[in-house]
Amino acid sequence: MTGPGAHPLPLDAAIVSQHVDQALSSPLFRKAERQARFLRFVVDVALQSPEPTIKESDIGIAVYDRRSDYDPRTDPIVRVEAARLRARLREYYEVTPPERMRIDIPKGRYIPQFIPVAGKPAQVGSGLSILVSPFRSLTADPSDQTFCDGLTEEVVHQLAQDRQLRVITQSAAAWLEGRDGPKPRYVLEASVRRAGAEIRLTLHLIELTDGGSTHFSNIYQATLDDTFAAQERLAAEIRGDLAAALHLDKEGRERVH
Amino acid sequence: MDSTTIRHLRESIALLPVGDLAPANEFYRRLFELAPEVRPLFKRDIGLQAKKFSDMLAWVIANLEHPDELCREMRALGARHTGYGVQVNHYAPLGSALIWMFQRSLGDRFTPEMDEAWMEAYAFLSLEAERGSREAAVDSPTQRGSA
Repeated sequence: MTGPGAHPLPLDAAIVSQHVDQALSSPLFRKAERQARFLRFVVDVALQSPEPTIKESDIGIAVYDRRSDYDPRTDPIVRVEAARLRARLREYYEVTPPERMRIDIPKGRYIPQFIPVAGKPAQVGSGLSILVSPFRSLTADPSDQTFCDGLTEEVVHQLAQDRQLRVITQSAAAWLEGRDGPKPRYVLEASVRRAGAEIRLTLHLIELTDGGSTHFSNIYQATLDDTFAAQERLAAEIRGDLAAALHLDKEGRERVH
Repeated sequence: MDSTTIRHLRESIALLPVGDLAPANEFYRRLFELAPEVRPLFKRDIGLQAKKFSDMLAWVIANLEHPDELCREMRALGARHTGYGVQVNHYAPLGSALIWMFQRSLGDRFTPEMDEAWMEAYAFLSLEAERGSREAAVDSPTQRGSA
């Protein structure tokens, strides 16, 4: 697994280093020495190279003291730790909402992305919270549900780029259930039908605070020639439509009327 | 964890031979290979330990739709294991040995989707165990026992 094409945004290296120092001094990282080294390693590589590439084995050797001939297929320690690091970063940002930037290590890659945070970070319980229900396939073919799962992930990812939007996944919703605190304002639901290589997706944005009325609805079509491209294109289209439906400006803030 | 992840976790466990502790024994053998420093932490018979591990996996699978229960149990487990000398850095080889156990026991039947599901589940469970461990370290810094 390599990370070409995921080059970080041009944030000042000093800001990134300061951010990493701050994160690593938190209780979540303080005793997780290898996870801290993992984060420091991938950040350093990303900062030092204009087109960084990191292989799983690079991290195994540099951070987990593996020999140069170790086989990541039989010792997937780096993938295990990458999943834990992503979860740890998520938890860290929940506890310490980022003020200037945040670090994201996209799934399947090891190159971190440095994402500037403009203005005040979104607060938990802000008005624009959306629960994204897993998209459903209306056909019996299991591969169609796999496509829907991937599309759900892509939509969550793209919506999460809007800083004033609080995006809640189904698993987080299960976690929040029964706990005190604000409930999501909107629920996004979609179903997918397929005929041959053509798919049709029906989307509903439901406003829970308005008695469950449908705030926005649309039908999208795509051809399954390239699964990932189709998922990305559909997710981008959905994100654009939701931004318009929710009156978000380019920075992801709800306009005041 | 979404319903698809839960499905892949359950399907992978269902493929393990019922009542057979061989996979759990293999897990410990691999763990001690990857991290020999944890071997002295396990003072009891590894066969008994394998049974406990196998029971724990079954309990986790049965409670995947109850995240509160999972969190509570994982934090308690993390707290106990801090007393036994388990450190945060040990969770990495534990995870690697767990995935290897499925690879070894299921071969090609262990699909990439199952692999991904276990990565996600282990990240969630191990971070909760760590949380319990941090809380225990604050409450009882001198506790010692045997894993």
